[in-house]
Amino acid sequence: MRIKVRYFARYRSLVGKGEEELEVPEGITVKELIDILKERYPILKNEVFAEEDDLADVNVSRNGRYVRFDEVLKDGDVVALFPPVSGG
Amino acid sequence: MLSERELERYDRQIMIFGEEGQEKLKNSKVAVVGVGGLGSPVAYYLAAAGIGTLLLIDEQTPELSNLNRQTLHWEEDIDRNPKPVSARWKLERFNSDIKIETFVGRLSEENIDEILKGVDVIVDCLDNFETRFLLDDYAQRNGVPLVHGAVEGTYGQVTTIVPGLTKSLHEIFPNMGKKGKKFPIIGATAGVVGSIQAMEVIKLLTGIGEPLLNKLLLVDLAYNTFDVVELR
Repeated sequence: MRIKVRYFARYRSLVGKGEEELEVPEGITVKELIDILKERYPILKNEVFAEEDDLADVNVSRNGRYVRFDEVLKDGDVVALFPPVSGG
Repeated sequence: MLSERELERYDRQIMIFGEEGQEKLKNSKVAVVGVGGLGSPVAYYLAAAGIGTLLLIDEQTPELSNLNRQTLHWEEDIDRNPKPVSARWKLERFNSDIKIETFVGRLSEENIDEILKGVDVIVDCLDNFETRFLLDDYAQRNGVPLVHGAVEGTYGQVTTIVPGLTKSLHEIFPNMGKKGKKFPIIGATAGVVGSIQAMEVIKLLTGIGEPLLNKLLLVDLAYNTFDVVELR
């Protein structure tokens, strides 16, 4: 199935593009998608996702709605990855 | 009642929300927690709008490297005037019809109830999630709205928490660590995000428009993007 992935903030800078369409296995979860992206862009793995809890540092929305990592994706979904920021 | 002077001063915004709206702003007390990059535009625009009482909270004193973004602090304040005191000095001269209260120190579980007592809206202009969660707990306990903002680089986020109506900050960002490391930031980013936070406060108090309830606004000024994510 095909999904669209959108990258926000420093993810966008690291990946070098704002969005892309990807062919992924049918019925994968958000977490599995993130694993695929880490394979595809090692820089995300090294610079963004924490070593111990590798999901601690990313927020995900699916079709404009905030989702958990165990949610199953469907063909045509738009998934956005955005880092939590804490500066003031 | 609004004085003749206030009616003239706020004439252009009374065109938006009426004298009734202006009265509501005048009768409100808003806490600006963190008087730095976000707190500067938030406090400045809320003072301009005529919020009756502003409570400014911060424990720090300005440093030279703060001045690229913390526009309420000037060179003469460096290493001298604590941020709430520095900001109060300007804001009192900017709008003498409002009251500016200050607390120089760090919020804690022990002191937060006393310090924030009587506050109608809390604005989160902090730089760490540890204290943000303290504000979130207080907001939930006391049913006080909390306007969250955060920035990094050219990017920022805003959402408004109303206890009982929206998710709490804990629910939205369950995984935030305590890291408070040095982050990149430029003043204009804080200016945009802080201005949006100030507008959230004005919307909450006057009832105009739609605050960012259960919506997270994501702004990236480097790429001209404004996105709203549904949090429900």
